[in-house]
Amino acid sequence: MSFSQDKSVASVLKLVKAPIYSHCYSADRSVLAISCDKNCLVYRLHPQPQLIATLADHDKLVTAVDISIHGRIVTCSQDRNAYVWEPMSNGSYKPTLVLLRINRAATSVSWAPSGYKFAVGSSARIIAVCYYEQENNWWVSKHIKKPIKSTVTCLSWHENGVLLASGSTDGYMRVFSGFIKGLDSKEVVAGSPWGDKFPFGSVIREFYQGSYVHDLQWRSNQERVAFVAHDGTLNIADSQGNIISVNSPDGLPFQALLWVNDAQIICGGYSCHPVMFAADFQSVRFLKDLDKPNKGGNTPQSTPADGQEEEENAFSGISALRKFKELDLKGKVTADEQESAHENTIVQFRPYAESAGNVSQVSSCGLDGKIVIYAV
Amino acid sequence: MEDWRRIDIDAFDPESGRLTAQDLIPPYVQQTDPQAVQQQISQLKSFATSGDINSALQLATSDPPYGADDSTKALYFRAVLETLTQVRQADIANVVKQLQPQQQDVLIKYLYRGMSIPEGQRQGGILLAWFEKLTQVAGVQPVMHYLTDRRTV
Repeated sequence: MSFSQDKSVASVLKLVKAPIYSHCYSADRSVLAISCDKNCLVYRLHPQPQLIATLADHDKLVTAVDISIHGRIVTCSQDRNAYVWEPMSNGSYKPTLVLLRINRAATSVSWAPSGYKFAVGSSARIIAVCYYEQENNWWVSKHIKKPIKSTVTCLSWHENGVLLASGSTDGYMRVFSGFIKGLDSKEVVAGSPWGDKFPFGSVIREFYQGSYVHDLQWRSNQERVAFVAHDGTLNIADSQGNIISVNSPDGLPFQALLWVNDAQIICGGYSCHPVMFAADFQSVRFLKDLDKPNKGGNTPQSTPADGQEEEENAFSGISALRKFKELDLKGKVTADEQESAHENTIVQFRPYAESAGNVSQVSSCGLDGKIVIYAV
Repeated sequence: MEDWRRIDIDAFDPESGRLTAQDLIPPYVQQTDPQAVQQQISQLKSFATSGDINSALQLATSDPPYGADDSTKALYFRAVLETLTQVRQADIANVVKQLQPQQQDVLIKYLYRGMSIPEGQRQGGILLAWFEKLTQVAGVQPVMHYLTDRRTV
């Protein structure tokens, strides 16, 4: 199997043979949770990645997973439910069903920074904000309905835990208030440039992009939201209603983005390799490609480690078959084409190593079932 | 098993708030004045007959009649198609290169529209030549923009 030799690729984990739609690390990066078909798989990363739990209560595809600062895992699924998984002292996880009261698939989930509530986006044109109620011993969900007109694809909480940005397939990026009485205090949003009053569910601002919004993330200290859309753009919206945007360099849309620091954003999507953008308050522009495959380029390669080359020479019949398979399955014309670490669409980024808001290593998951860690 | 994919789940939930076609109309498309479009069409035609292809295409791709009704759009498109078919194959690349990226996005809308109707299909070879040159110059970006833009020509 060929693999990328790009310097930016720090490590590649091939854990499962199915697409990974979502992955997440615990706060200390010792635990990795990935979505895999109807399950959520939990791995301990050190010293070797080892499966420690399979969270198997969902009965349809798990679409998203997130871990709170307290280590609670939340998963949501196309079976219209969400589960909160409490880590137990013996290493197992205790599930609690969260009744979302939605009639279509749940698509995305995100813990608020405090870890006491989370938001679930769904195809039912609803965002369910869920929090734990002591007196009932139960996770309650409150709905944000209006004016969402289509599937909610992505969610991001502001650091203050009140402002909730959401992207949707109706072409809007909206900022809602997810203020929960008794959980949030009005002080955290005092002086916010986004408004004065934040009653639960109110639309604070909306931005029309026209095409599916795939991913978005707050940069809280700058009071800005970056989002990527299916027309191949990366956009940054601010509290004044301004948008600055840039097109993907090769025209293909991005599925994921992450603020690396105050001035850089990493994006990834259908081109299977990450792209860095530089962003200031006036403009956002292309900076560089990471791990970009050198199409057709004949890069000097070290001697093949697995002796596949001799094998090919010995059995030219197999070689021809292999060549045909490469052409058929991967659209590759030559076998010596350099590949990127991800062989399919990148769908999500997570910070892997960060200090003081600066991310030095980024983890990504893709439809090829790989987790790739990039040094940026 | 019952064909559950075809169950109308909204019928079970009176509060679901069904969407209507009205809900999905882009918010910014304002009605275009048919008179103004007519004027543009005659201007376009005069550019085309005088052989000033560049001006004709600059005009057609700068201010497309997004807000017009279907019949006006059809009239407008006919004028654009006439212009496109007048350009010699060898000149297409140069014309395309002089367009701004936003204008290239509009141009590809005309090409796709042409390929979707019989009048355009009769000129299919020419439209494909335009398409080829356009993607050589601008890559797949205009195609992605066409696929995702709800404003139509």
